[in-house]
Amino acid sequence: MPKPHLSLLLALGVAWLVSAFSGHLDPYHLDVLIGVGINVILAVSLNLIAGHTGQFSLGHAGFMAVGAYAATAVSLFLGPRLIGDSPAQGGFAENALFFGALMAGGAAAALAGLLVGIPSLRLRGDYLALVTLGFGEIIRVLLQNFEPLGGALGLNGIPPYTTPFWVIAAVATTVFTVGCLVRSSYGLGFRAVRDDEIAAAATGLHPARYKVVAFTVGAFFAGVAGSLFAHFKLTITPAGFDFTRSIEIVVMVILGGLGNTLGVILAAILLTLLPEFLRPVAEYRLVLYAALLIALMLLRPQGLFNFTVRRAKSRAPV
Amino acid sequence: MSAPLLQLSQATVRFGGLTAVDALDLTLHERELVGLIGPNGAGKTTAFNLITGLYPPASGTVSFGGRPLAGMAPHRIVAAGIARTFQNIRLFGSLSVLDHVRAAGNLHRTASPLQSLVRLRAFRESEDAITARADELLDLFNLSRFRDAPALSLPYGEQRRLEIVRALATRPRLLLLDEPAAGLNPQEKIDLVALIQRVHREFNLTILLVEHSMRVVMGVCQRIAVLDHGKKIAEGSPDGIRQNPAVIEAYLGSEHATALFHH
Amino acid sequence: MTEFLQQLVNGLSLGAIYALLALGYTMVYGVLRFINFAHSDVFMVGAFAGLYLAPLVPADTILGGVLVVLGAMLICAVLGALIERFAYRPLRNAPTLNVLITAIGVSCLLQALGQLVFGAAPRAFPAVFPARALSAGGLDFSSNQVVVLLVALVLAVALRFIVFRTKMGAALRAVSQNPRAARLMGINNDVVIRFAFVIGSALAGAGGVLYATNYPSIDPFMGVLPGLKAFIAAILGGIGSIPGAALGGLLLGLVETFVGGSEYSTYKDAIAFALLILFLLFRPAGLLGKPRVEKV
Repeated sequence: MPKPHLSLLLALGVAWLVSAFSGHLDPYHLDVLIGVGINVILAVSLNLIAGHTGQFSLGHAGFMAVGAYAATAVSLFLGPRLIGDSPAQGGFAENALFFGALMAGGAAAALAGLLVGIPSLRLRGDYLALVTLGFGEIIRVLLQNFEPLGGALGLNGIPPYTTPFWVIAAVATTVFTVGCLVRSSYGLGFRAVRDDEIAAAATGLHPARYKVVAFTVGAFFAGVAGSLFAHFKLTITPAGFDFTRSIEIVVMVILGGLGNTLGVILAAILLTLLPEFLRPVAEYRLVLYAALLIALMLLRPQGLFNFTVRRAKSRAPV
Repeated sequence: MSAPLLQLSQATVRFGGLTAVDALDLTLHERELVGLIGPNGAGKTTAFNLITGLYPPASGTVSFGGRPLAGMAPHRIVAAGIARTFQNIRLFGSLSVLDHVRAAGNLHRTASPLQSLVRLRAFRESEDAITARADELLDLFNLSRFRDAPALSLPYGEQRRLEIVRALATRPRLLLLDEPAAGLNPQEKIDLVALIQRVHREFNLTILLVEHSMRVVMGVCQRIAVLDHGKKIAEGSPDGIRQNPAVIEAYLGSEHATALFHH
Repeated sequence: MTEFLQQLVNGLSLGAIYALLALGYTMVYGVLRFINFAHSDVFMVGAFAGLYLAPLVPADTILGGVLVVLGAMLICAVLGALIERFAYRPLRNAPTLNVLITAIGVSCLLQALGQLVFGAAPRAFPAVFPARALSAGGLDFSSNQVVVLLVALVLAVALRFIVFRTKMGAALRAVSQNPRAARLMGINNDVVIRFAFVIGSALAGAGGVLYATNYPSIDPFMGVLPGLKAFIAAILGGIGSIPGAALGGLLLGLVETFVGGSEYSTYKDAIAFALLILFLLFRPAGLLGKPRVEKV
């Protein structure tokens, strides 16, 4: 992408167009579109952590949960006080409030990401996977026990602020931010840290800082995705953000090819649409899904959409 | 003589019961080219890892430019001006040749990473400067033709060269080369000697060289320190070292003894 | 005091099940260095094997119970061998991450198949061992708790014998210390790895039946949480260490039970993860493991 700013503007234009014509589109298709967009944000943000930086995280749903709850707290509890009980639907006040809620969701998740990033400094590989999984579960248990946010029953009656416009805009911003970050000379450090931490440090790069930045930025966008999700589904429960959800996001990243942004986007789209196509054989859906994952790992470990030559890991000199 | 650039005094590294580097005293002055030799397992690489902050000293001190390096993280030590290469080449599997050098140029980046999002002129200029400098270095070391190739696709000798270029891109004052001749053929070794001398001359560098190839060490070093079982057993000019009985004793029975006698 | 002893018995019987599962994780980690996420679902299959075997044996007898446990162990051993052969062996030289993802895939597959075959709704588990309420010295416990402890003890002793007194056990230890050197010594690593899977899965099968006798409702997702916790137990004990896994399992069972009996009971499920994070940060080698130094 030689002109990232233009692409971003273009995407925002599309977002505006879609929202302008959303009245004429099939609501079912709009719902699918929103679902796809949210998953794209989750996958691209996890790709920064797991793909580019190599920090295998199984706690992405936890960040999503933090974002969803923080944003909902803003729109549900703070909202009526800030913009009154019945603001004009789709009006400025509502959109401004939602923007604030998205930012709050992102910021809260980023904070969680910072906290999770710190143990990642000392752990690697499957140990890290387990700790991030643990963090995700701890967040879930804490939310279950926190009555002001609905406890195990979760929160209902969330205002339906998520529109195709917000989703497309958030997708564009996520892809843009992650893309700019990893393509800059600074961002080379993410991949350097993934490839060889010791060599990265010997090149003057700060491995710990990169990991924490990846976790924080990745978690921020997961939080935004969670916020969009909450104001789309209109009800959230801690159980909705469990370990299975994290796995789903991981599968998108793996399927797309670690560190391959375009592939990851395609995979997120494919995997969100797949259940829709598999509706006729709903019973076998999970079996097919799992079998697909295993087959993929055995036959195309570099990801479905990675057409570049396989990385020459095996050719490393002796 | 001027103040030393690098000074190890009584530096010791232990792994459990094993003392890998034992009360090592070593001093390098600005612009010196010093060799560090010794049989396998003598503690040479450990000494490098100590200087570059990968291992903490059990006792003793390491100081650089008069400043103690104790407790400094490896990347801070690079920023302070010590760069290194690795015995078993450690390049980044997913980065191109150019990106290796750009990544190292990061240390001298003038724009903050946040600016990558707004992409104003300051950011573009900073990025362009890093790329230009990287290209210049690649050019200087005949790696331009591999510019966009994955680093690991390079021939072995070129990979070694790239590692040196990556180290130079951090703009060090002291360069630590860990067995740069390992795995090279005789012609490549000759080229390497020329390369080291050139780097030493043109980059105004101080170099500490760990090497098994006596041809390389004797050919380029002004002074040589010899380690055996973690202890420094001799230090002096190449000629002095060649005739030093303690050194011959340490190398006896090893394949290098012959090399030492015959050059 | 009675209360304390009561909880101690409860904690030990829960811990014994964690320990049985943890042994499988630690053995596989020892030889292949990855988290076998599918292990928790082998445990689930063990419980369902028990469910289907129970009507075939004399009900409410010790012999019947033992037969059910043995049958479940056999079925799980075969399942473990199949998983190893078809999912993990082709990835022997692949990056850890790929193996990890495959393990997650196998785990999802077993759960999904479980849903198809067994149904998603929880099923009641029959009484396979004679269930009696026992009381001694003011303590009330069920005979099932005693059964769990006894079976776990017998299996642990048997495992110890296998690992330290047989040729296969020696090969297992050799491969987990240095697979390459083991191969050079003429050990067939594939056979040893399959052996680790067979033994580990058999233990998980026994664990599944024992778990089901104490918590008598089973479903295709029952393995997830105990499985994760058992792996954590293996880490707490020192991953790769067989006595460590047993110790970690008992420890985790006790801690969970005591927290579960306190006013913080709703946080019970987070305890294991909190312990895990603390251990990994401050004692990554676990209680009985040996720290490793990375060579540069």
